[in-house]
Amino acid sequence: MALLIAPSVLILLLTNAYPIAYAAFQAVHNGSLINSGEFVGLDNFARVLGGEAFWKAAGFTLVFTFTGVFGSWISGLGLALLLQKRIPARGFLKTILLLPWVVPVVVSSTSWNWLLATDSSPIPSLFRTLGLGEVRFLSDPFLAQVTVCLFIVWLNFPFMMLMMSAALTSVDESIYEAAKIDGATPRQQFIHMTLPIIAKPTYISWVLMTIFCVNEFPAIYLLTHGGPVGSTSTLVVLAYRTVFQNFQTGPGVAIAFMMTVALATVATILFRQIRKSRVE
Amino acid sequence: MTTTSLTRSPGTQVRRTMDPADRGKWKRFWILIVVASVALVPIAGTFILSLRSNNGTGGVTLDNFIHVLADTEVVAWLLNSLQVTLATVVVSVLVAAPAGYVLSRGRSRLVEGYSLLLFVIQSLPVITSVIPLFILFSGMGLADNLIGITILYVASSMSVSTWMMASYMDGIPDSLEEAAWIDGASVFGSFWHIVMKNSLPGILSTAIFTFLMAWNDYLVASIFLRSSGTFTLPIGVQTFFQQHSTDWGSVMAVAVIMMLPPAIVFAALNKYFSVGGVAGSLAGR
Repeated sequence: MALLIAPSVLILLLTNAYPIAYAAFQAVHNGSLINSGEFVGLDNFARVLGGEAFWKAAGFTLVFTFTGVFGSWISGLGLALLLQKRIPARGFLKTILLLPWVVPVVVSSTSWNWLLATDSSPIPSLFRTLGLGEVRFLSDPFLAQVTVCLFIVWLNFPFMMLMMSAALTSVDESIYEAAKIDGATPRQQFIHMTLPIIAKPTYISWVLMTIFCVNEFPAIYLLTHGGPVGSTSTLVVLAYRTVFQNFQTGPGVAIAFMMTVALATVATILFRQIRKSRVE
Repeated sequence: MTTTSLTRSPGTQVRRTMDPADRGKWKRFWILIVVASVALVPIAGTFILSLRSNNGTGGVTLDNFIHVLADTEVVAWLLNSLQVTLATVVVSVLVAAPAGYVLSRGRSRLVEGYSLLLFVIQSLPVITSVIPLFILFSGMGLADNLIGITILYVASSMSVSTWMMASYMDGIPDSLEEAAWIDGASVFGSFWHIVMKNSLPGILSTAIFTFLMAWNDYLVASIFLRSSGTFTLPIGVQTFFQQHSTDWGSVMAVAVIMMLPPAIVFAALNKYFSVGGVAGSLAGR
């Protein structure tokens, strides 16, 4: 048994335990990617927490994660419900609806850029034609935030659709028949029968999606680079830009390290909770 | 659980329509068609632009594809991506399958602890580990290197692939192995000959997941791959996009080339793919 799991343990230790220990070292030094620098204590943390960028990014991380989780869950569940019963071309529809999740994000961010980026792009042109004025999706700070949130929902609703479809297959059709005869409206059926049955998979999918969204990097970076004026920078994007664009390794690693500690704590609590609520 | 009442409560009327079930079916179908059409605009646009000729006539042509395949480094990047992705898939399955087997059959505190560890590691931001690993790998000559990137992909898909394997193996009865043990097979022997042989759908599911992960990764590759000879498609494509941002025909042709392998893999193996297992194995057994 021990031998079977050994390769997995070794890879995890090499690629996680060592780097996290080293990141802790970097967070309290003023080094760079090339030299390790001097010990500066909690200086990096003080600099990061004293700056405005960190709190802005933390705020947007919350908004982005919240819309990402619930936007993709509601749309994914809606589609899963529509696909639950027999309809024409069900397999085909299910497959093409998975495409946003299957297509590489490098590609989809390029397509979105082509659709939205400039005043002459298709969607802004359409808005102009409809008399809605100049809508600058990626250059207005607030609209860029909305666009990035829409993009993450578009990327992840297929995953939620898969999760919810899997959950709905465990719902026995015959209970609906019985409920119908008892005169339950579709809404009542959904609230009192479907929702309790899919409650646990739903909770797990929220947990997973929260983790995905907090850690999301390419979707944001490739669409907006975290701009304009940092409005779409989440903490991960901010850490990346601090290290690789501003060459401030210490502060950048400090942001990443704080996220690591926070996420490890939250993940441990959530995992215990999921395991405790075991039904069987 | 529910008793069907044959007496209708007063006030509910039986509405007679043509065939309500049939009408609802088509209504749902059209809603889905509309949603899918809107959702697929970015992807459809990519295909249309890649096939449109640049001479202003707007005809259909393969010129963009011929140009990017013949005159750019796209083919080299494609081969790099294929090598890295296939190596990741094979190594991931070989590492995750035995680990998943231990999680599926093990009943000790250590096994439970390892499940927790996998979950926690899965939830950490990649960027924390990437910077120290970049320094470590640079020292070993693995930074700007396809083997190095393969190791990182195996590591970052490890948690999910192990869960997927474990949840599939949960469905394989223990009695098969126990019979083999009585016949004198070792734990490893029974795992390899019995469990692995019966886990093909689980293996395929894991393979699809790791394929998508390795094929699509941008973050790790953007930090580790520094010379265009080692670029995988996402990095190559990104630099190509920056240089040719006005030549949408070529850009979208490259995008379509990058889209095709995952789309083909997914279309061919779609029926084996399930993410439900991830939820199941997280929920515990």
